[in-house]
Amino acid sequence: MQLQYFLLLAAALFCIGIYGLITSRNAVRVLMSIELLLNAVNLNLMAFSNFLDSTAVKGQVFTVFVITVAAAEAAVGLAIVLAIYRNRDTVDMEQFNLLKW
Amino acid sequence: MAQFLLETVWLVPLYALIGGLLAVPWSPGIIRRTGPRPAGYVNLIMTFLAFVHSALAFPATWNQPAYQVFIPWLSTAGLNLSIDLEISSISVGAMIVVCGLNLLAQIYAIGYMEMDWGWGRFYSLLGMFEAGLCALALCNNLFFSYVILEILTLGTYLLVGLWFIQPLVVTGARDAFLTKRVGDLFLLMGVLGLWPLSGTWNYTELAEWAASANVNPTLITLVGLALIAGPMGKCAQFPLHLWLDEAMEGPVPSTILRNSVVVASGAWVLIKLQPVFSLSPIVSGAMVGIGAITAVGASLIAIAQVDVKRCLSYSVSAYLGLVFIAVGTQQDEAALLLVLTHAFSAALLVMSTGAVVWNSITQNVTLLGGLWSRRPVSGLAYIVGILGLIGFPPLGSFWALLKLADGLWTTKPWLIGVVIAVNALTAFSLTREFCLIFGGKPKQMSERSPEVGWQMVLPMMILMSFTLHLPLILQSLSLLPSWAELNKDVALLLIWSSIFGCSISAVIYLGNVPKPIRLPWKGLQDLIAYDFYTPKLYRMSIVLSVDLISKLADIVDRFVVDGIVNLVGLASIGGGESLKYSTSGQTQFYAFTVLLGVGVLGIFVTWPYWGNQFLDMMLLSR
Repeated sequence: MQLQYFLLLAAALFCIGIYGLITSRNAVRVLMSIELLLNAVNLNLMAFSNFLDSTAVKGQVFTVFVITVAAAEAAVGLAIVLAIYRNRDTVDMEQFNLLKW
Repeated sequence: MAQFLLETVWLVPLYALIGGLLAVPWSPGIIRRTGPRPAGYVNLIMTFLAFVHSALAFPATWNQPAYQVFIPWLSTAGLNLSIDLEISSISVGAMIVVCGLNLLAQIYAIGYMEMDWGWGRFYSLLGMFEAGLCALALCNNLFFSYVILEILTLGTYLLVGLWFIQPLVVTGARDAFLTKRVGDLFLLMGVLGLWPLSGTWNYTELAEWAASANVNPTLITLVGLALIAGPMGKCAQFPLHLWLDEAMEGPVPSTILRNSVVVASGAWVLIKLQPVFSLSPIVSGAMVGIGAITAVGASLIAIAQVDVKRCLSYSVSAYLGLVFIAVGTQQDEAALLLVLTHAFSAALLVMSTGAVVWNSITQNVTLLGGLWSRRPVSGLAYIVGILGLIGFPPLGSFWALLKLADGLWTTKPWLIGVVIAVNALTAFSLTREFCLIFGGKPKQMSERSPEVGWQMVLPMMILMSFTLHLPLILQSLSLLPSWAELNKDVALLLIWSSIFGCSISAVIYLGNVPKPIRLPWKGLQDLIAYDFYTPKLYRMSIVLSVDLISKLADIVDRFVVDGIVNLVGLASIGGGESLKYSTSGQTQFYAFTVLLGVGVLGIFVTWPYWGNQFLDMMLLSR
């Protein structure tokens, strides 16, 4: 019965990430929320790999890739935030609603 | 020779039609250099040919049984329409009358229309009328009679509207078309209703069918009423009579034809359908009622008119009312005889007054007077016209009226009173016009009034002599009722009523009665002078209701029907306009909607695995 607990923990982390993603006004905090989501996914992958695929551990390979891609993504994301900050002098998400109807 | 001409007598309508078509090129827009006169001459030649052809063919029909010609027209599943022609002495005789009167009217028009450029249009329409009337005379099929009547209705519209620059002409032509059209449409209902009952539209077969028909009386009454509605409009009978009054706005030569022949086209169909009408006593009664009301009403109205053409047009309505009475009491022969004698006299009266109007300009009889010494020819023609129209022996209408009254003597004596009254009233009104135009002292409009040229006098003289000779011709054809068998009392009554009407009128209008004559009751005088306010009556009833309903339909169309469709469009626009705000520009909102979609879809897809258990759990926990 241990797998469920891992999965529930990961889901809770994912939901916290979602909440942060949708409600944060600071763009950097949005990126942080995304990191939370990715880490929740990593937890899932590790749990599945351990309990369902303990010999081939493909989940662990996935996790390594996700960590790598997440690092790159965070770097690019911070670059975008910096670029916006240079132009608009703020990182408030509610100021970035120019591309509406 | 006569036999050959008889076998080709169905070509007669085509002559007139060709004549009408040949007149078209001389419309002012096509042949610009010659002027319009050749149109009239060409048409005259074709009419003359038609007249000669039918006149030469006539002796061969005499005392011969009628023979039928069938020309297949259209054959579809379950319906074979063939143009049935009946070539008998009556139909050929009718064609002679039509062609002859048209010939005279066309010669007359050469004089009358001298100062007019519209010969091409005018003569082509006269040719069309002649063709239609000849075809109607030959046609032995109710369906094709209807077709011809409708074409003639269109012809009336165009001919009345000849001088369309005048506003009263336009309204008159409109009323003439619509009124006759309404009657024709009812006739169409009757024609279509008759088919399932009788299975034929051939008049001869209809008569055979009617002789032994056993149909629902209500049904045949309704069909019969629809069938008389067509001739009712055509013959200007009450209440569809206003158009004839307004059709007097057209040129006089066409009025000759209309007063004498065109209105009789309805009577012709009526006479042909008489066996069908006799199936229902209600229909016969309605015909008699309509005829009697029209005859008395119109002859009263004719007395109170000041426009000379309108005086005559109401007399025409009155006499066709008598024809209705004759058909309603199953007296076909009297009806035919009356139509014949009335045609000549009415045409003569119109020619004579037309000649007066032509160079006295006004049509108002109260502005005319004292023309007798200077216009003896027109005056004589008018007198002969009067005597030929009222019951004055030995001229034509006397015999027709006598025959009609004689037939009524035993069956419906009260109708004799109507006939006598109409005769006396018509005698009064026609003598009144004569006295006002030709008697008394010259007034300003008739101070200098020369007699007209030979083109108008010649047809008038020919027609006058023909009216005078009509009894002899009828006698030689042994068509007159034999004097020995007739009721002498009726004859005396007729003669006395004529003398009575003429002499009272002459005393009033030639004597020292102050003019203009005022009745003690001004309301009554206005009532009959304004035609019982029929235009107002139309405007208040039919025209008003149709107008209101059409306006209502327009409103419904504009606002309800259009509105519903437009609402769909507006809703789409409104939907787009309001839903665009879902594109909020906030990235986080987009993320939220994506997650919401995934969540909802996820619940939906996985519902079978846990949904019911979830619901059970919820229910149990309650």
